[in-house]
Amino acid sequence: MESRTRELLDEHMRENYRKTSRVFSILLAAQWVFGILLAVVISPRSWAGLASATHVHIYAAVFLGGAITSLPLYLTLTRPESLATRLIVGVAQMLWSALLIHLTGGRIETHFHVFGSLAFLAFYRDWKVLLVATVVVASDHLLRGIFWPESVYGIADPAWWRFLEHAAWVVFEDVVLVFACFRGIDEMRSIARQRTELEKTFAELERTHQIVTRTEKLAAVGQLAASVGHELRNPLTAIRNAHAYISKRVLKSNAASDARTVQFLGLQEREIHACNRIISDLLDFARERPLDLRPCPLRPLIEEAFSVVTARDGVDLVNEVPADLPVPALDKDQFRQVLVNLVQNAVEAMPAGRAGTVRVSAAGSAGDRWRIAVIDDGAGIAPELHARIFEPLFTTKSKGTGLGLAVVATMLKRHGCSISVKSEIGRGTEFAIEIPLQTPSAAAA
Amino acid sequence: MKFRSRALFASATAAWLCAVFAGTTALMRYKNAAGAQLEPAGRWPAESTVARVPGRSMLVLAAHPHCPCTRASLTELDRLLVRAGGRLQAVVLFVKPRGAPEGWEDTDLWRRVAAMPAARPLLDVDGVEAHRFRALTSGQTLVYDQEGNLLFSGGITSARGHEGNSVGRGLILAALDGARLEHPTAPVFGCALDSPENGGTP
Repeated sequence: MESRTRELLDEHMRENYRKTSRVFSILLAAQWVFGILLAVVISPRSWAGLASATHVHIYAAVFLGGAITSLPLYLTLTRPESLATRLIVGVAQMLWSALLIHLTGGRIETHFHVFGSLAFLAFYRDWKVLLVATVVVASDHLLRGIFWPESVYGIADPAWWRFLEHAAWVVFEDVVLVFACFRGIDEMRSIARQRTELEKTFAELERTHQIVTRTEKLAAVGQLAASVGHELRNPLTAIRNAHAYISKRVLKSNAASDARTVQFLGLQEREIHACNRIISDLLDFARERPLDLRPCPLRPLIEEAFSVVTARDGVDLVNEVPADLPVPALDKDQFRQVLVNLVQNAVEAMPAGRAGTVRVSAAGSAGDRWRIAVIDDGAGIAPELHARIFEPLFTTKSKGTGLGLAVVATMLKRHGCSISVKSEIGRGTEFAIEIPLQTPSAAAA
Repeated sequence: MKFRSRALFASATAAWLCAVFAGTTALMRYKNAAGAQLEPAGRWPAESTVARVPGRSMLVLAAHPHCPCTRASLTELDRLLVRAGGRLQAVVLFVKPRGAPEGWEDTDLWRRVAAMPAARPLLDVDGVEAHRFRALTSGQTLVYDQEGNLLFSGGITSARGHEGNSVGRGLILAALDGARLEHPTAPVFGCALDSPENGGTP
């Protein structure tokens, strides 16, 4: 956030430099034109009797004024953000003050151009510009005080420190302007900080809006799925019963000798089982059943989950939960479903034809959090998928519903639990469930 | 900024500073180049037709009607007369060279002097009076006491066409206050009263 604030402040400063340089490009050009007009009006010619010639002020306004204007004008147009531009503009502006004072015959009123210029230069909000401008004023007075003292001080032999007296008044204004510069920068920083906070808030709002939109969509889909699932469950139960009866009769009859008949009966049973599982997942995901929290020993719960999971040859299921682990209060049915889904996924994560192990461990103590880990040494999950695996309808399996981990996330959320995943491609995956702090019940085996 | 670009920029800046410094120096040399002065007569010229005002010190300022530098001298004259507080009567001799057209001398400078309460403009055809007061440069100022003794001779601006405090103004005020001046003179800054053929330089 601090870096973004700095970035915005830099952006504002650059914008301010650009704008101020643009002002000075106009001012410098205008001063040049004004200087020439002044010379033409006030001192067009110098005389000797009846003879006259173009006054030196005309040449000074055109050529010296042009020289003073040239470089800063070029820089304000081509490099408006550069520090060098600002400093040279500061020098040029003070030189213009001196030239205008000469062109107007040293009028006291023209001396205010110095102070006005300093105020203009303060638009840059850079104290270095004011410093350089002040050095130019002091140097001008110092040098003229040495070579032509009367032209500056009106006396032939001024004290050496007189230039300091003149510079001191400029410094007096500088102090005010430098203070204003710093205050201006502070205000810009404050605005940048507020803008950073606004940007952050907007981003959070945007994220929340996306989540709410997605949740609403999912809720609608969930309701539809639950309704469809509920309607399909009864006919499916009838089909399953009918299939069981027909299978029993067919396998006892002569038709059992037909290999294709047996094969198709097996196919029917598997597909009916798959349909049943899809419907169960949909209902688990969509139903908002209130939690029935009771002391729930973890080791036996995991054994139950193991018994439900469809086993695979070569994949061992290991329950590493200590028997004397303190007992958390959980909704047993929902938490068993969580474990079944995680363990089933872990079993299915084993590459085909490879042996492996799925281990479930747990730790926790009175006054502490419980942590349950489901660890497999399967294929692992690609890092870019970690953020999406808990999304409903997202799956990487050819026959998955994409609801298994969504059901896990939903049920854990109802429990106030969190789940995290660590995975390494080719080495396995660990899902870790954190059960929040709660008053533990008596330990149970 | 790359090295080559930086070197180019440094060179341009150095050239710019040199040009500006040279121009400013040239302008300052011009502004501080004093005009020609002759040793003045110690007393009011007897042959002068300029009338003196009894009981007052007299100030005579020779002016070129078109000289822009003299505008500053007249500003300083105005200030000086205010500071002198009625002790000084001023006459500004506007030198009109022979051959100048009719009304040549009627300039803003003339009108300005005419508007001053303690000063009056006087047309000086061919610079006869200016010659009597030995004035060569516009802005040359001479101050005489009530008895006609010269108190000051020189300029009353600090540079060519430059208003502000000057040595001349300080010396005149001191003389009017009765101080005995060791060097009652100051440089004169202005246009030449005479044409180039008579030694003037525009």
